Amino acid sequence: MKPEIKDQLRAIVGEANFSDKLIDLVSYSSDASQHLHRPEAAVWATTAEQVQAIVRLANQEAFPVTVRGAGTGLSGLSVPAQGGLVLDLSRMDQILDISITDRAVVVQPGVIYADLDNALAPHGYFFPPDPGSSKVCTLGGNVATNAGGVKGAKYGTTRDYVLGLTVVLGDGSIMRTGNRAMKSVSGFDLVRLFVGSEGVLGIVTEIILKINPKPRATATTLAVFDDLEDAGRAVSGVMAGGVVPSVLEILGRETLKAINQNTELNLPEADAMLLAETDGYTQGEADYQMERVVEQFTAHHAREVKQAESAAQAAELWKARKSCVPVLARLRPSFILEDITVPISQVAPTLRGVQDIAARHQVQIATFGHAGDGNLHPQIIYDAADHDESERVEAAVHDLFQLAVDLGGTLTGEHGIGLSKAPYMEMEHDPAAMKLMRSIKRVCDPNNILNPGKMALDG
Amino acid sequence: MAEQHPLLEKFRDQIQRCSRCGFCQAHCPVFGGTKRPALNARGKMLLLKEVLEDHLELNEEMVESLFQCTTCASCATNCPSGVDVPAIIKAARKEMVGLGTCHPAFSGMNQVLDEHDNIYAEDEPEDFDRQRNQKAEVVYFMGCVGQYREEEASEAALDLLDHLKVDYTLIDEVCCSGVLEDVGFSIKPALAAKNIERILATGAETLVTGCPYCFRTFSKQEAYAPLREAGLTIVHLSQFLAGRDLGLSTDKRVTYHDPCDLGRHCGIYEEPRRTIKAVAPNFVELADHHQDALCCGAGGGVRGAYAKNSLAMARRRLAQVEDSGAQVLLTECNSCVHNLSNAKLRAQKFRVMTTPQFLMELIEKS
Repeated sequence: MKPEIKDQLRAIVGEANFSDKLIDLVSYSSDASQHLHRPEAAVWATTAEQVQAIVRLANQEAFPVTVRGAGTGLSGLSVPAQGGLVLDLSRMDQILDISITDRAVVVQPGVIYADLDNALAPHGYFFPPDPGSSKVCTLGGNVATNAGGVKGAKYGTTRDYVLGLTVVLGDGSIMRTGNRAMKSVSGFDLVRLFVGSEGVLGIVTEIILKINPKPRATATTLAVFDDLEDAGRAVSGVMAGGVVPSVLEILGRETLKAINQNTELNLPEADAMLLAETDGYTQGEADYQMERVVEQFTAHHAREVKQAESAAQAAELWKARKSCVPVLARLRPSFILEDITVPISQVAPTLRGVQDIAARHQVQIATFGHAGDGNLHPQIIYDAADHDESERVEAAVHDLFQLAVDLGGTLTGEHGIGLSKAPYMEMEHDPAAMKLMRSIKRVCDPNNILNPGKMALDG
Repeated sequence: MAEQHPLLEKFRDQIQRCSRCGFCQAHCPVFGGTKRPALNARGKMLLLKEVLEDHLELNEEMVESLFQCTTCASCATNCPSGVDVPAIIKAARKEMVGLGTCHPAFSGMNQVLDEHDNIYAEDEPEDFDRQRNQKAEVVYFMGCVGQYREEEASEAALDLLDHLKVDYTLIDEVCCSGVLEDVGFSIKPALAAKNIERILATGAETLVTGCPYCFRTFSKQEAYAPLREAGLTIVHLSQFLAGRDLGLSTDKRVTYHDPCDLGRHCGIYEEPRRTIKAVAPNFVELADHHQDALCCGAGGGVRGAYAKNSLAMARRRLAQVEDSGAQVLLTECNSCVHNLSNAKLRAQKFRVMTTPQFLMELIEKS
């Protein structure tokens, strides 16, 4: 990047919000994925106008702009794959308005999920998606990835809550789309187009989110299955059984084994364990739903069903689920966490398929995930320094995606395409869809300066 | 390679184990105050990974990142992969000092302790008008901040010990020099020897420290093993006070700041709370507390080396106090009191004090 361009960037954001120091460039070279590429400079923008000026400059001088929030993405979305500029929005961290009457909040993209949660708690409201990285991830990142979490089955993902956006488009124009109205069929749904667009179409500088009243009561139950197929059928049974649990998680045998080897939780070793939570505004409401869930567990031959009698007991059960990633991460030096998602009826065949893939390629894959919405997390643990093992992992990853697509599912339920899954886009999307996506990219970002190299849109 | 960075090399496995998830950002005071990933644990691990892979050198450019860490350990607490970041940072700093690269504030600290007995290079220690170097059951060791910067807090601690009729003595204490281990240098054997000799000469059974960092140093550092081998019980004042019925009560709304050296580093969370809650039932927790507590910004040499950012970190913590609606913020660390008091805005009406100061005020009023 030419010194004159850096000077212009300094002029736009101010000296304190610009850096081309080595330590910053290295820290911006990656996110939570395995991808690595250094930018040539970084800025912390603080207003939409600054973002606009930066995008205009990028068009004029032809340098790539990669937008970044907390950098917790697992697919390389915020890795500056072609160098250029990292545009960090984490200093735009103001909650601009909380309107309980409208059931909406207006936030800047750098607001941390947990900070919004804390601000809404006194009102008895919440923003439900609850991604695993909720303590650190930003709402702008949630919008860019269409983030989901454990509550997807009942509460959906980020896209179900975004009412409006202010976006700086790739050509430097500022667009406001959507509003606080609960319903709108006015024109194309541009909000939905930009949610999950991974920073390739525009840069979101303000977000209007719908919020929900927070249920006050929950019920929590664990069920153990000797047969994976039974667990899969129990998931389908629960989801078809007339109630919707707020959480329905599955932990496979490998995961249970790993947790038992590394914690004091003493989980039953079985083919699968399901963890369910129901919620409501009264305890009776939560308990009624849980009774329906337990009926399904029993009908599908659960070996053991254990209901939490207290909040403390429930917390103990959730410890098992929350320990999955850390426990597995400590087993080997490296890991890849996938998020393939299939129709609910296909959860059991998918779990079986994952086991077959692990055996076929001789790699270690432990699976857990959000069974209630068919979103599974096969976590491949390996040693990235071992070339041969890394190649086998790559082959296994390919097969995992093929499995999901073959079963009528998708490459990614919540992490996004980014760099990791770009090579597989055409496995899921037909030529007409790919052509339309690439056309949309060209319209919004004619010079391909926004996050180039992602989502297989450059072709 | 191994010869080039022997201290870092010991942590190669851990540095590679960092999965870059970024969860360490949650309560990192330096990141929270700056939003600069280069100053967060993940950024530091990325730098060190490249150093171990021979892509980067441990040179001047690294100082701003690797020397700007309060070693508060919130990153390690939040790390799913179990990376002991503070230990790695300390090793990296020692490695850099060995290579001739250091922040001047840190080399200054080392130099001061070569030439003086205390970290502030002061000549006249406050004598607090108490007996020194005498035979007693308890030695009270206040530490440099208590001796030279927060004398009122130390005075209150001593008054409280008097009130409780504790048989104690002070000693001609010198800096424990534990902090040097954090900033790239090592504990001064000569200083350690003086402290050990003077403490043991009192014949005391218990060593009570006013400073959480001194407590850590005496309890854990090899240089102070003779204290432990002599069978001395080493406790922080908050532990010494816990469970004592002081017969005091106040309806003030009180909150507590967990010092990193006492909380995350030593696991002491409940003893101070037990004392405070017994006296002040109207106790509230701050938004981040226990192992999630935000650091006050003073540790790891950051207050001296990066004063502006250190102040910003303290301000973030003080904002949480304001949000809690507390009238009094208590803590058990003179260094935290020092940094938080300096950063407190005039508009912030709550008071910042140590638990002994608070207790002495109530005793004097009753």
